[in-house]
Amino acid sequence: MKVLNIIGAWFENLLNHSGLYAMMLIQVLRKLPKPPWYPRQILIQAEQVGVQSLPVVLLTALFTGMVLALQSYVGFHRFGAESMVSMVVSLSMLRELGPVLVALMVAGRVGAQFAAELGTMRVSQQVDALWTLSTDPFRYLVTPRVIAVTMMLPLLVALADIVGIGGGCLISVALLGETPSVYLHNSIHFLTLNDFYSGIIKAMVFGSVIGIIGCTEGFHCSGGAQGVGQATTRAMVISAMSILVLDYILTAWLFQ
Amino acid sequence: MIKTSANTPKIQVCHLGKQFNGKVVLDDISLEVARGESMVVIGLSGTGKSVLMKCILGLLKPDSGQILVDGEDWSTLDETEQLERMRRIGMVFQNSALFDSLPVWQNVAFALLRRGKSNKQARSSASEILDLVGLPGIEDMMPSELSGGMVKRVGLARAICHKPEMVFYDEPLSGLDPVMSDAITKLMRRLHEEFCVTSVTIAHNMQLARNFGDRIAMLLDGRIYRILTPNELDSCQDPVVRQFVDGRAEGPIRVLEG
Ligand SMILES: Nc1ncnc2c1ncn2[C@@H]1O[C@H](COP(=O)(O)OP(=O)(O)OP(=O)(O)O)[C@@H](O)[C@H]1O
Ligand SMILES: [Mg+2]
Repeated sequence: MKVLNIIGAWFENLLNHSGLYAMMLIQVLRKLPKPPWYPRQILIQAEQVGVQSLPVVLLTALFTGMVLALQSYVGFHRFGAESMVSMVVSLSMLRELGPVLVALMVAGRVGAQFAAELGTMRVSQQVDALWTLSTDPFRYLVTPRVIAVTMMLPLLVALADIVGIGGGCLISVALLGETPSVYLHNSIHFLTLNDFYSGIIKAMVFGSVIGIIGCTEGFHCSGGAQGVGQATTRAMVISAMSILVLDYILTAWLFQ
Repeated sequence: MIKTSANTPKIQVCHLGKQFNGKVVLDDISLEVARGESMVVIGLSGTGKSVLMKCILGLLKPDSGQILVDGEDWSTLDETEQLERMRRIGMVFQNSALFDSLPVWQNVAFALLRRGKSNKQARSSASEILDLVGLPGIEDMMPSELSGGMVKRVGLARAICHKPEMVFYDEPLSGLDPVMSDAITKLMRRLHEEFCVTSVTIAHNMQLARNFGDRIAMLLDGRIYRILTPNELDSCQDPVVRQFVDGRAEGPIRVLEG
């Protein structure tokens, strides 16, 4: 019985929160068409999200591309299809691993940061102070962050795609004896533009998910340092889960 | 439509009630503050003084009752209009609530910057106000580098920088030394005399209540217990008021059990 209760409470909590996320999304969309937009805030956040995530994202992409090349080589070597390695690397980077891994890294970095920043501002009444200074806290804090991460994630993913394919090339050339021009030709030859777009569209969806969840957790935070801590953890965990689930749904429905 | 005339109260609180999770904090509060008047609210810690102030500012939604400012109920307006009205208001938070990611001058001139004032103009206005509160030359420091009393005064500077017509002070003098307290009280008084500012002040400091208040409202158990003038504060024989004003633990108000 106790276990059921706990599961019930957990589920109820999740439902409550999803309601909050949905409301947040609706509010962002409703407030987006009208000024003020606070471009400076968008820029600051874009810098935070984009530039500062760069090392983490590129490192992830590089090693993913490298390991992908190694592993698929092992597989294809068994039936003498080594030339397929390049295509597997580029296709899986573009369609799947690029957007998902980058989004997961950014969820850990940026989603958590949003939740912690906004949560601290909420519990120390800085959000209330914005209101008394005739500034809409939602427009000033939430909208710029959501916009920034939605715009920056596709860019990060595009870079990660390039670096990942580069990593695969590096391994194939250095360890597996492929020539670079053949490898790159094989990488690109079999790709369609759709492979690239599908990854970029995923990235935009994941970006807005990270932004909405991180900001909601922070903005509706209560209860001091502990509350901020919990909001931060929730922001990370829930956005990571949502990214994986949405990835499946998007792949299954849209980009077969 | 309610008409505004010279003698409509600036702020009018009617039968305000507010509870948190079933715990009644404000029961039935009615209060009027006239134009240019300074109303001081006193009361035990935790009686809901800050909650009352936040209800007036629209930061908390009251459960019952109505709040009129210049005869207008702000809670019926849409968000843009409410924010527009907030320009007429300044608020000093109990914990100051400075923006800790912005330097002092951007904190002080926040409202001006949001209204499209140039950086240069905003900065010079900020410097001016910082001089007024006795903090020259700290424009570029971050809030985390300031002492408690300095933070409080920057909070005050931020609240008055955009020349509001109503100012809400939540314990403006907490953490200040006696000399600075007197100077700040005089500054607040001057805002009334020179700019006809209307204010509501929460005070634990009886000297501030006497020197700054035109009227003093005492909050007890979610209601206004008494409204007195500073002179009545000393002559009033009511045991509850006496106990509070003289600051004794023994008396009709029980604060600690046993
Ligand atoms: N957001 C909130 N959620 C739940 N309870 C609250 C909340 N804000 C205030 N309270 C409760 O309301 C009561 C009044 O709080 P308030 O901050 O108004 O006290 P106060 O009169 O300002 O006290 P002090 O003089 O110590 O500042 C307290 O008992 C507090 O527990
Ligand atoms: Mg208080």
